[in-house]
Amino acid sequence: MIKIIKKYINYLYLILFAGLIVISYSSSKRKPDSVTELFTDFGWLNNFPKWLDAPFMIWINDWWRAFSVKYGLIFDAIGYVLLRAYSITKNFLIDIPWPIIVAGVVLLTFFASGKKIGTTIFVGFCTFSIGFLNPRFWDKAIETTTIVFIGLLLCLMVGLPVGIAMARNPRVRNVILPVLDLMQVIPSFCYLIPGIILFGLGAIPAIIGIFIYACPPLIRLTDLGIRLVDKEVIEAAESFGASKKQKLWGVQLPLALPNIMQGINQCTMMALAMVVIASMIGTRGLGDEVLLGLQQLNVGSALEAGLAIVLLAIVFDRITQAYGEKIQERTQPTKKKKVI
Amino acid sequence: MKFIKKTILSLVLLAGISFSATSANAACKAHLGDFDWDSANIHTAIASFIIEKGYGCDVEVTKGSTTPIMAAFFDGQIDVITELWEDNLVELLKPHFADGSIIHLGTNTPASEQAFWVDRATAEAHGLKSVEDMKKPGVWELFKDPENPTKGRMTSCISGWTCYTINYVKLKEYGLDELYTNFDPGSGGALDAAISGAFTKGKPIFSYYWTPTSLMGKAEIDMIRLEEPAYTAECWGAMSVVVEDIKANGQEAYVPSCACEYKDMALTKTVRADWAAENPDIAAMIEAYALPTEKVNEMLAYYVDESNGDMEATAIHFLSNDTVWESWVSADVAANVKSAL
Repeated sequence: MIKIIKKYINYLYLILFAGLIVISYSSSKRKPDSVTELFTDFGWLNNFPKWLDAPFMIWINDWWRAFSVKYGLIFDAIGYVLLRAYSITKNFLIDIPWPIIVAGVVLLTFFASGKKIGTTIFVGFCTFSIGFLNPRFWDKAIETTTIVFIGLLLCLMVGLPVGIAMARNPRVRNVILPVLDLMQVIPSFCYLIPGIILFGLGAIPAIIGIFIYACPPLIRLTDLGIRLVDKEVIEAAESFGASKKQKLWGVQLPLALPNIMQGINQCTMMALAMVVIASMIGTRGLGDEVLLGLQQLNVGSALEAGLAIVLLAIVFDRITQAYGEKIQERTQPTKKKKVI
Repeated sequence: MKFIKKTILSLVLLAGISFSATSANAACKAHLGDFDWDSANIHTAIASFIIEKGYGCDVEVTKGSTTPIMAAFFDGQIDVITELWEDNLVELLKPHFADGSIIHLGTNTPASEQAFWVDRATAEAHGLKSVEDMKKPGVWELFKDPENPTKGRMTSCISGWTCYTINYVKLKEYGLDELYTNFDPGSGGALDAAISGAFTKGKPIFSYYWTPTSLMGKAEIDMIRLEEPAYTAECWGAMSVVVEDIKANGQEAYVPSCACEYKDMALTKTVRADWAAENPDIAAMIEAYALPTEKVNEMLAYYVDESNGDMEATAIHFLSNDTVWESWVSADVAANVKSAL
């Protein structure tokens, strides 16, 4: 059966396409009075004819209306969980005095970077400078960080398993890859605005936006990292009688870790970019300040907030990047010794 | 065989090119500024159709948010604004009207509303008629702000627009700021989506909004306007001083003054003076351009329900089914437009 379908799949597509054209023609409001007119008056070859309009918009709208009513409760539940996670984290971080946060970031960088003093001082300075630019930015930066953090957690929870599944099974990869392309390419407002209808204004549609926008690089790099692990190493593990599970956790994942860290780094950066765009749908945070500055044509204030975002990005980037480098040194120790 | 294929292909391509090579040799140029709400889009679509087909001009339309479009207009990059919410931009416009670089061209739509609205079901169930009623015990909990559960959410105007600050002052003056957040939706599209999302899910909504808009024209969106203290020029003037102060110096600059409802304002038109001097006939057309509010609402409804969201089709529908526009232009221009329909 499958073989037959495979053989005639192109014809099937052709029939589908022809059917779509017929539906478009018959549902169009601007078609000529009769079909024969098309063969006597060839004006429609000149400009793209108005009647050649696939009614996707109508279908999507109908589907969307039914969908948002029928499954509204599910999205309310998802929104509620995310919102709780967001509010708890945000309130917790905002209540902490700022020097402790700066100290915490410094400590984190120190250990994540393998005790590199230069990076640590630089990151600490950047963290301090966010508030230093404008004291109002401090709480906003924490809100932004919280959204990025929750978004990142969501990406990790979904992205890592999907990445692993893709690396193990080429068929899964063939299905997932076009979806990833779509997620990365589709303009963000196409999902941010419908996100408002499902989740309401504010942080939650932004977190969903982060997931759609920032998850693909994490999935791709996880997949790539696992596939790039040396065949010989895998064979060695197999010859020792490692099970599939042992191979994954003991060999593939640890060796793929530098690539996965790179994925997490990319994911974080893209999440930050999305939070800034999401200020257009009422998400609080630093993006909000940029938008306000631009709405009022206050270039100084917009640029100041923009700088604060850059600083925040540097902090995220340095910490994840430094940690990735540390892991790389650990997994590929030979490269470290070339200095001697 | 390959050669034949190539020849046929290039012939077809050539034919295509010669077909499309019919560009208008326009004597005049008009650059229209359009905004991100639909009543402005309709006026721009109609005006640009008349200017392009009736006067044979090169028409360019740039669409964007109020601030960038107005900045480009003051800078001379845009010639025509067909729908201006003048009262919201008084301070911004004043110097440019004063130095004569732009000209006021009269009213476009006579009445518009800006107000606080509550969905009818909630308003009727809890007897909410005025902003005072919003203070009743327990009412704010209906509109609970998920991100700030100690208050209700008043979905406000977009921060950076003057109405956001006006709403901030109003909430304070009405004593509603203790109970409600002045929530910035970020953009016009997001505000629309928030309102229509609330109606899809059957949730209560308390929002700032305005008419004429296609959203308000929709059957399923049924909101009632909350009464506020009646508009008086003195009260509005006193409030505007505070509003401008807050815009310049931040929310700490708030001092108690006065608050009243938005004036139902006339929407107006404006053009650059130098452009009007070059194109007096088109400027006269724009000056004559005026449509009653009901007509605009009707067109907005057509735009949403009938045209599949095609603004040009809506403009063409208006121009072919209505004759009021023929009085704005001379007979030969009207004939030009009609032949292009």
